[in-house]
Amino acid sequence: MGYSFPEEVLEHVFSFISLHTDRNAVSLVCKSWYEIERWCRRRIFIGNCYAVSPGIVIRRFPEVRSVELKGKPHFADFNLVPDGWGGYFYPWICEMARAYPWLEEIRLKRMVITDESLELISKSFKNFKVLVLSSCEGFSIDGLAAIAANCRNLRELDLRESEVEDLSGHWLSHFPDSCTSLQSLNMSCLLSEVSFSALVRLIARSPNLKTLRLNRAVPLEKLSTLLHRAPQLVELGTGAYSAEIRQDLLSNLTEAFAKCKELEGLSGFWDVVPFYLPAFYSVCSRLTSLNLSYATIQSPDVTKIITQCPNLQRLSVLDYIEDTGLDALSLSCKELRELRVFPSDPFVADANVALTEQGLVSVSEGCSKLQSVLYFCRQMSNSALTTIAKNRPNLTCFRLCILEPRAPDYQTLEPLDHGFGAIVDHCKQLQRLSLSGLLTDRVFEYIGNRAKKLEMLSIAFAGDSDLGLHFVLSGCESLRKLEIRDCPFGDKALLANVSKLETMRSLWMSSCSVSLGACKWLSQKMPRLNVEVIDEQGDLDSRPDSCHVEKLYVYRTVAGPRLDMPSFVRTMNQNPAYRR
Amino acid sequence: MTSSKTIVLRSSDGATFEVDEAVALHSLMIKHRIETGGADSTTIDVPEVTGNTLSKVIEYCKKHVEAPNSDDLKSFDTDFVKVDQAVLCHLAKASYYMNIKGLLDLSSKTIADMFKGKTVEQIRETFHIKNDFTPEEEEELRKENSWNLFV
Repeated sequence: MGYSFPEEVLEHVFSFISLHTDRNAVSLVCKSWYEIERWCRRRIFIGNCYAVSPGIVIRRFPEVRSVELKGKPHFADFNLVPDGWGGYFYPWICEMARAYPWLEEIRLKRMVITDESLELISKSFKNFKVLVLSSCEGFSIDGLAAIAANCRNLRELDLRESEVEDLSGHWLSHFPDSCTSLQSLNMSCLLSEVSFSALVRLIARSPNLKTLRLNRAVPLEKLSTLLHRAPQLVELGTGAYSAEIRQDLLSNLTEAFAKCKELEGLSGFWDVVPFYLPAFYSVCSRLTSLNLSYATIQSPDVTKIITQCPNLQRLSVLDYIEDTGLDALSLSCKELRELRVFPSDPFVADANVALTEQGLVSVSEGCSKLQSVLYFCRQMSNSALTTIAKNRPNLTCFRLCILEPRAPDYQTLEPLDHGFGAIVDHCKQLQRLSLSGLLTDRVFEYIGNRAKKLEMLSIAFAGDSDLGLHFVLSGCESLRKLEIRDCPFGDKALLANVSKLETMRSLWMSSCSVSLGACKWLSQKMPRLNVEVIDEQGDLDSRPDSCHVEKLYVYRTVAGPRLDMPSFVRTMNQNPAYRR
Repeated sequence: MTSSKTIVLRSSDGATFEVDEAVALHSLMIKHRIETGGADSTTIDVPEVTGNTLSKVIEYCKKHVEAPNSDDLKSFDTDFVKVDQAVLCHLAKASYYMNIKGLLDLSSKTIADMFKGKTVEQIRETFHIKNDFTPEEEEELRKENSWNLFV
């Protein structure tokens, strides 16, 4: 017999185990541990909202306090998932409102949430504290007003990158005067003005406010007023960073920033007027996080900032930084862990911005703690990629986006197979990889053989044949998410690796060469997969099995086929009687 | 001059330990017994705990009562739980019964750390727990879990 613990002791032990993988392991040890664990699990994370049903979750975990859900696949960010595809929060909130009266936190990503749902949240949970809506849509200011008005203990309201219908514009005033619990407010995605006086009053009565991200509509002239009320801020997102050139305004702003002794993160910076940049120089030495991805400022101004930030760990910036700015970054910011460089003008062939592969090579040389890279550029070479790989074997995330599809090594005109091969060869802890440029099946052979820790792979306009896909599916042991667009991958690789698909969260393939017949066969063979065909051309029923599907989304599930699909989405194994 | 009163604690196997009352009161269970026990409560039985474990529990209470602000309290705690698993589990149970929050947290957290990063099989082996799921039940649960549904 094992060590017999009283239930309460085991429960107490489990309260120190928070990682989902660890909780899952513990729950499988034996029946009594399963029972104890499920009653005391307080946080659940569901990576695909269609992989399980609300009923199953609630039945197993009756005392949850925090729920995190993800809906649409990642390629929705690139407008590849048609409107109306799904990802509705409503069925979840209906059941959770009844089952989890003590729910405190809801975090959603790429889901559709209505005002009705927001109202239900605001009225169902007496102790509701945290609402994070990341890249969500379907709601308006009215829903936010309900949250503000009814959630008495709200600590965090974060709307990052969500699409909000701004109908009335006035919702901040719905926070009652008695609400003083706010610690984090991110309204950067809101398009219309908010009531400034309501905002000031809210901030003034929130002594624990640590994160404040304003929207573009908050003018620079008013920023110092807000900062004076909240000198304890740790993270600030400014509004528009522009105003008429006025010395007194600059002085006020400088003084206000100087009072913020705890500030570590800055973002916002729409419409920057460089004259006002020095206002925040006093906080630079403390900055660990800087997001200048909306700041259309040129390299000298960017460089001036980052050379004053020796503690910088995360930087997002536009390609205006250019190679010279990245050189400066590599010399000044030795603590850098994450770099994201976005294109200022992605749709123009020659953007006249001196950012090349050299900038990234520079950073890889100088910043020894660099782990995560997202880099948009217009040219790349195998030798640069190899240098980067050798410099930074500790990379865990490498996303390279060469803007022109199928662009070869600009020096040798060869495919970039060897370069990416070097990346997966040297960076043994690589978890996430996005490919671009001219690539043959060979790069997939390298990836399949070497990228043993890879969990997420994004492929676009690459490969020659099914062999490429086969290498990935048969080789990448840790693969959880695979998303592919515009590649010559067809049925063969898919059907040769069907059981692999049950070990992954999801597979997305669009504008490839997968046939309707293969989709049907796949779903028959693997009843635990939802094989969704997304086809906006209409009337799949009359198409021959040999025709290629537009988009395919395959994911494992214990919930069976979903019942909320629009007409342009079909689950292949669904009984025709249930189709709407 | 205040005389320090002592209490005698008696374990399940009859071992007795004389401790200062202040030290004994670190256990809220003992505190409750004393407060509700009446005049003659100088010997308190702790039948849920054996002598070996009780001795260690007292060592913990002594340190935390007599030198609560000492710099080496943290390293004391760290060393205190560097014991073999069986002792650790006994400590956790004892601190639960005796209602000593600090020790319960310390021992529970240490046990929890032993689970982290382990597979199901490894946990079963480490703690000698018998698997009483049928293969079908286990498979079904593994799907729910390890299909990254709740991860």
